[in-house]
Amino acid sequence: MHTIYARINNTSAFLSSCVTALLVAIALSSLAFTADPKGQLAVASIQVHPGNARRYANKKQEFAFVNFNVSAGTHLVMSARAVSHVHACSKPDLSPLFNWNTKQLFLYLSAEYTDKKGVANEVVIWDRIVRRKEDALISTTGRNKYVFRELSASFRNIPPANYSLKYNVMPYVGVLTYGEAARTPQPVAFPELQSLS
Amino acid sequence: MSVVEACPHRLTQSQTLAMQAYLQQVFEGKIDFEGQKKVETLVRTVIIAATIGSFLLGFALQSLRITLGAFSIACVVLYLIVIPPWPMYRRHPVQWLQAKQGKVQ
Repeated sequence: MHTIYARINNTSAFLSSCVTALLVAIALSSLAFTADPKGQLAVASIQVHPGNARRYANKKQEFAFVNFNVSAGTHLVMSARAVSHVHACSKPDLSPLFNWNTKQLFLYLSAEYTDKKGVANEVVIWDRIVRRKEDALISTTGRNKYVFRELSASFRNIPPANYSLKYNVMPYVGVLTYGEAARTPQPVAFPELQSLS
Repeated sequence: MSVVEACPHRLTQSQTLAMQAYLQQVFEGKIDFEGQKKVETLVRTVIIAATIGSFLLGFALQSLRITLGAFSIACVVLYLIVIPPWPMYRRHPVQWLQAKQGKVQ
C-alpha cells in the first residue's frame, strides 16, 4: 500500500472479491421469490391439413393447425351487479415472476404427446418474450407460430396431446428457472385429415 | 529565470536528474506507514459496507440498477480518497537516526 500502484492493485483485488460476493448474493436472492402463477389454457380448434414436405416435393406431410386461448386466469372476479355472475378474469398474471433480478420471461406453448412407439414428444408451437412487468398480463388468442408436424409425417393414430404454457425466467444474474403456467385439463385429440378446399 | 531561457536547447544533467526524481515521486505517490495502515482499514471497511449496504438498498427498492449504481459510486469515491497520496497519509514520516560521524568513508 506504499505506492499508488500497490494501492490500486490491493484495492482492486479486494473489490473484485466483493463484487463476486455481491453478485452471488443477488443470484441467491432469486430463490427467495417463489411465485408460481397459474392461468388456464384452452385449445379452441385443431385442424390437420395435408401438404408437401418442405425439402422433398413428392413426399406428403401433414400439418396441424392449433388455435388456442390463453385465457382464464386464477383470479375469479365477482361482477358488481350480480353476485351470481362469476366470470373469470381473463388474464393469467405473470407479473409476480418479475422481481429485481428478472431480465425477461420466455413463454412457450408446447404440445406433448407420446407416439405409437412410446416416444415422448414435446413440440413448441408458439412463444413470446415478455420484457416488462406491464406486459406480463397474458391474454391472447392465437395459433401456432411454428410449423407443427409429426416425425412420421402423419397425425393418424397419434394419441391425444396435452398442451401446456410454460415459462422460463431469465435473470440478470443467476440460473434460469422454468415453470408451468397453464395446461389443458384434458388431452386434445388430433382430428381426421381435412383436405384443403 | 526559467530553465528555458537559461538553456534553450537542452537541460543540464543535474536538472534532468532532479526532474526524474520529481516525476518518480509524483507517479509513485508514496505514503508513510501510518498512512498505509489507515488506507488498509479504510478500503476494507468501505468496500464491505458498500457491498452489504448496496445489496440491502437494492433489495428493499427492488432495483438491481440502484444496487449496482450505489456500489459503483461508493467505489469511485473510495478510489479518489485512497489512491492519491493525500497529505493526511503523510503526517508521520519515518524519523531516521542521524548518520554517525567519522565512520563514513
